[in-house]
Amino acid sequence: MAYQLLKGKKGIISGALDENSIAWKIAQRAHEEGATFTLTNAPIAMRMGEINKLAEACGAKIIGADATSIEDLENLYDESMEFLGGPVDFVLHSIGMSTNIRKGREYGDLNYDWFMKSLDVSALSFHKMMQVAQKKDAIAQGGSVVALSYIAAQRSFPDYTDMAQAKAMLESIARSYGYHYGKAKGVRVNTVSQSPTKTTAGTGISGFNAFYEYANSMSPLGNATADDCADYVISLFSDLTRKVTMQNLFHDGGFSSVGISADIVELMESKNA
Amino acid sequence: MSDIAEKVKSIIVEKLGVEASEVTTEASFTNDLGADSLDTVELIMEFEKEFNVSIPDDQAENIQTVGQAISYLEENAK
Repeated sequence: MAYQLLKGKKGIISGALDENSIAWKIAQRAHEEGATFTLTNAPIAMRMGEINKLAEACGAKIIGADATSIEDLENLYDESMEFLGGPVDFVLHSIGMSTNIRKGREYGDLNYDWFMKSLDVSALSFHKMMQVAQKKDAIAQGGSVVALSYIAAQRSFPDYTDMAQAKAMLESIARSYGYHYGKAKGVRVNTVSQSPTKTTAGTGISGFNAFYEYANSMSPLGNATADDCADYVISLFSDLTRKVTMQNLFHDGGFSSVGISADIVELMESKNA
Repeated sequence: MSDIAEKVKSIIVEKLGVEASEVTTEASFTNDLGADSLDTVELIMEFEKEFNVSIPDDQAENIQTVGQAISYLEENAK
């Protein structure tokens, strides 16, 4: 259902690779809610995915950018402001990549160049997106910036390797930049810690299906889907959450507060029977 | 071996971090050389840059082995 929650709002949405992407769903919902926006992704992701289809459906302009490049980000804001006719009200950071995970490296055998790349692509890019925006005054008073995170920032998930550190850094940047951007321009900065989600990036993690099922069985509401996440992020872009900032917001069907669920008890007992 | 074949192989060694001896003509990027979906797109883009060609998506899909990459580029490289 659409409520026109983002009527008249302008934004930038990164990370929409294909229709399984959380960012894709957020773009669709933002469009339904009356927003206009630009879409951005790394050139390689644009080549890999189907962003053109989404742009057409949403009337959005695509601006390629490597989110680790200040120059590309400057261009992203310049072109976005030109296309949208002024500063933006919301920015979505949905960017993450670990070569160590892609290559199946164990935590005790990580390649450090790749580790640094994971941090740069998945976390530092979030700071860069805000610093470049602030210098250009590209986010309007009271705007909202959201990045997508995962609970491996707080707890240990063996196959998430260096992305756990990247997500911890991402969430820390939200707290630090949330203070500064809040003071300077009333801009909110939050991370949404989402249930495991069946996206191209998510399913690249080994053991994904097992932990998807585990999280689903642990969560009283079940895993939050990409569509659910889109709904939640829309609320964070809207004026209904003007005082929510510097938070890591769990959007996980309750997973993060559960010790053990009856479903898991049953499963363990049936194994021991 | 042609210059193109040499170059293709060295790009693959560098991009996928594999040993040159593994990069045989029959080797499949995904099944034998450990490439994931991102790697294969990266390889195609690297071939395009290096050989100054543009490889349409429907043709890129048919380039799955080292040999297929070499013969495509031998036919189409400028």
